Amino acid sequence: MPLIDAQNLYKIYDIGGTKINAVNGISLSIEDGEFISIVGKSGSGKSTLMHILGLLDTPTSGVLKLNGQEVSTLTENKLAKIRNSQIGFVFQSFNLLPRTTAIDNIILPLKYSSIPSSEWQGRAEKMLELVDLTERKLNKSNELSGGQKQRVAIARALVTDPSVIFADEPTGNLDSKTGEEIVELFRTLNDKGKTIVIVTHDADLAKVAKRVITIKDGVLI
Amino acid sequence: MQFLETINTALKAIAANKVRSILTMLGVIIGVFAVVTLISLGKGVQNYITDQFNELGSNLLFISPGTGDFGGDPADSFARNKLSEKHIKLIEENVPAIDLISAYYVASENSRFKTNTFLSEIIGVSYVGNKMFNYELEKGRFFTKSEEKNQAKVMVIGPNVAKNLFSNQNAIGERVDLLGDKYEVIGIFKEKGSNFDDQVILPYTSMENTLDLKNFSSIVLKVKNGYESGFVMKQVDLALFQDLDPDEFQVLSQADILKSIQSILQLLTVALSAIAGISLLVGGIGIMNIMLVSVTERIREIGLRKALGATPFNIALQFLVEAVILSVGGGVVGLMFGALATLFAQTFLRAEMTLSAILLAFVFSAGVGIVFGTYPAIKASKKDPIEALRYE
Repeated sequence: MPLIDAQNLYKIYDIGGTKINAVNGISLSIEDGEFISIVGKSGSGKSTLMHILGLLDTPTSGVLKLNGQEVSTLTENKLAKIRNSQIGFVFQSFNLLPRTTAIDNIILPLKYSSIPSSEWQGRAEKMLELVDLTERKLNKSNELSGGQKQRVAIARALVTDPSVIFADEPTGNLDSKTGEEIVELFRTLNDKGKTIVIVTHDADLAKVAKRVITIKDGVLI
Repeated sequence: MQFLETINTALKAIAANKVRSILTMLGVIIGVFAVVTLISLGKGVQNYITDQFNELGSNLLFISPGTGDFGGDPADSFARNKLSEKHIKLIEENVPAIDLISAYYVASENSRFKTNTFLSEIIGVSYVGNKMFNYELEKGRFFTKSEEKNQAKVMVIGPNVAKNLFSNQNAIGERVDLLGDKYEVIGIFKEKGSNFDDQVILPYTSMENTLDLKNFSSIVLKVKNGYESGFVMKQVDLALFQDLDPDEFQVLSQADILKSIQSILQLLTVALSAIAGISLLVGGIGIMNIMLVSVTERIREIGLRKALGATPFNIALQFLVEAVILSVGGGVVGLMFGALATLFAQTFLRAEMTLSAILLAFVFSAGVGIVFGTYPAIKASKKDPIEALRYE
């Protein structure tokens, strides 16, 4: 059974009477433990596809299954619960809470989970160790470098032990050396069994994945 | 998300913008301070009046002209004032339960000795006045029946009057300018610690003569011990009906007067507090304004929290709790300032911060937070996570 099974997904926006098919009948299946990159130019629909697969957005039509369960018709509250426990996000602009320490940023998703608060600190520290930032634990987000911020964001995505990590242009705001370190981190995580989906317009970054999916005008090519 | 964690998050958000948070709270602080202080002062004035009545002594009945209808024209009551010596006699003859009875005049006038003047309450009563109103003398004596009969120009003065007119000199035997006449000081009252200390007491006959008065301001009588004042009031009614119509006088007990004054004071306190409460409303609008700004400022944070698993309820609660903390925090600070103001007022008035005022302040400030925090909270909870994350 695939981890994610998408059948005939459409996402149609109505902008001022003009219909735009951002996702135009995409069928896709992602197995547990895969390392996939979705590559495409700006406006190709790759981000919209990631938002739908990551349950941040709902498809206009089509079927989306996560671990065999239909999820495209669930309520907002249930989707929030699933995002919290089964999906991790890494964004291009890190999106760390300002004036908040690294460890508190990592703890954030745990606050919305059913994991008891007594475990939060321990889990977050383990994640810091995993991304090699233990000594930066109490540094506030504005005291971290770009690469360190992205590592904190990755630790935050991993802290609830999700089934899949979606990373949207994760190296877009980093210099090439730091970007490579982040890519390496994803590879290590994948080696340990984590499913990773990277969305990027950068063909070089896309190549590091084991499977590359190209999207153009809302369809896979 | 656990509730304590929500409070913690809200406190951090408030602390992140300290000056802004304090300015936002200021509206509620001023509102609660004004309401609490006004209630305390209102209570103080009520206590003051109750104390004054208690000083008067118990079992007193007051017969005043007119019906005392607060809605009517007060001048009308005076115009129809027919109370005179005849009515004192009628009561003395027909109401056996009376211990003491006296005519009563009241005026406010300056008394003058050499270069010193003092504005005091001038009271004209009969020679039984000291027993009736529980006046105790510090020096000298009260006027006698014959002095009353002869319209003697004598006066007994309160300690404040003595202090202001004579400094620390001997006052007894001195002659004071009053009501265009010269009155001799024959006695000084002991201090009572209220506005009784500012009074000047004359024989009512002398006051009548000096000011050419025809009708009493009122008649005061003291009920004999063991008689119920309600019963005596009915007897007085019957006695006066022999000469007066029911709308030409009214008999009031001390309790009646106290009750009507207190009800007016309560109404005033409520009305003033309600006006002060408007500033609470303004404070609430300030909170709403700043929460709306906060929602826009933190839109990416809202998007992030939603992406990480926050439900719309989690988001709404976070912003609502923030608004309530701002308003309740303002309420607590306002309450503390109110307590300080009450303490200060206690130096001259028996002001009281009642439990109901404290509860009212809490309920109102929390209410303001909930009412004005709900809209921004709902607005925050409805943000689309993708748009929120993309917001620049």
